[in-house]
Amino acid sequence: MKLTHLSWTYMFIAHIKRDFLTNSRSLIDLISIIGFMLLIIILFPIGLGPDQEKMSIVSNAIIWIGLILAILPSLDKILQKDFENGWLDQIATTGIPLEIVLLSKGISYWLMVLIPLILSSPLFVILLSIELKYLPWLIVSMSIGGLAISLIGLIGSALILGAKRGNILLPILIIPLMIPILIFGVGINEAVKIGESPFGNLFLLIALALIYLIISPFISALLVRIAIGR
Amino acid sequence: MFNLENLTIQRGSRIILSDFKSVIETGSLTIIKGGNGSGKSTLLRAIAGFTPLEKGEIKNNNKNIISYKEEWSQKLIFVDTKNGLSNNLTIIENLKSWASIKGWPTSEENLSKALKSLDLVKYANLFISECSEGLKKRAALARLYFSFISDIDFWILDEPTNELDKPSQQLFEKLILNFLNQQGTVIIASHDLNILEKKYNVIDLDLLKEQSIL
Repeated sequence: MKLTHLSWTYMFIAHIKRDFLTNSRSLIDLISIIGFMLLIIILFPIGLGPDQEKMSIVSNAIIWIGLILAILPSLDKILQKDFENGWLDQIATTGIPLEIVLLSKGISYWLMVLIPLILSSPLFVILLSIELKYLPWLIVSMSIGGLAISLIGLIGSALILGAKRGNILLPILIIPLMIPILIFGVGINEAVKIGESPFGNLFLLIALALIYLIISPFISALLVRIAIGR
Repeated sequence: MFNLENLTIQRGSRIILSDFKSVIETGSLTIIKGGNGSGKSTLLRAIAGFTPLEKGEIKNNNKNIISYKEEWSQKLIFVDTKNGLSNNLTIIENLKSWASIKGWPTSEENLSKALKSLDLVKYANLFISECSEGLKKRAALARLYFSFISDIDFWILDEPTNELDKPSQQLFEKLILNFLNQQGTVIIASHDLNILEKKYNVIDLDLLKEQSIL
């Protein structure tokens, strides 16, 4: 009996479902990322002292830097486990373009790590004494910036596949790519705080996310093909 | 007819295979034998389309597999020593997610028959992290059942019997015989040449190396 292959969309969703299932079984990873961010957020006020004015100047930057630092140790795992257990080999024999599968990996990471982390931001906002009226913009900017960060992470994770001490190399390779996201992301929140329009920075951040949405599946697919070809 | 024409495969600075030629009959079982480091797994990965060739061509019915790589990859099932199983999923979840990404129907009936083919029904809900190496291998090989309900033509298997006990080996051999009966082609890298009583072809990579030294 011959069966026709289902659409790419169906398989894209099948990949995301699998990632949801595997990640739901290792919630400790997510809890440790949120815990790590919480620690960063707590450490800054301790270091800066009780001066509220000083804190209000840097609070937005602290949240963004905390977000980037908290997820860095987990970025290599976007592809590493699937590479080590041979799942990437199985994916390569499905006939579905690797680019589509890897895009699903980046989106899965965004949905399963970045979004829960961002949804925890009310807690961080309270700890940093940021006014709650700025929270919606913070969530919007971090969600969009988080997508770009996930896709940069996807490239980084593909780049270090099979490399010894790749997790040490990864931050050095990808943090420079995250600098524009940090600038525009903090820019949105700072603009809102001083009563200016945040849309200029917002559109630039959306543009960056879209660029990575297009290029990262292709770059990471190229890197994965090299890794599984070794 | 499956032709391996003048293959040269290099890994870094090391040449794994040089100017290697062979013909594999469609609908046959071929065993690639050789000692450690002889290039068995690399050859299998090249046939599966993973490892790039320095030189030469792999042709299925006179068509270079590189020219229709996506279609070619849909025609094969590849199982190597890594198994491709997630520790966080159970045996049945692994099988289901694998069949889903292949775009095959994951009905209870199909999954149950696949598990039954390697006597895995009672272990279906066991997490891979809790499985022995033999069970993991059986879970990976249970995918082969889907060849009988889809358009798979090739099995490419790297050391599939290493961790299997005798009863599991017999079930695996039964699957091979059924697949050969439907004109499937099986290529296995193995040390174990008593895998089937049925006749098979052998590609001996050690012999090849000896000849090249002489």
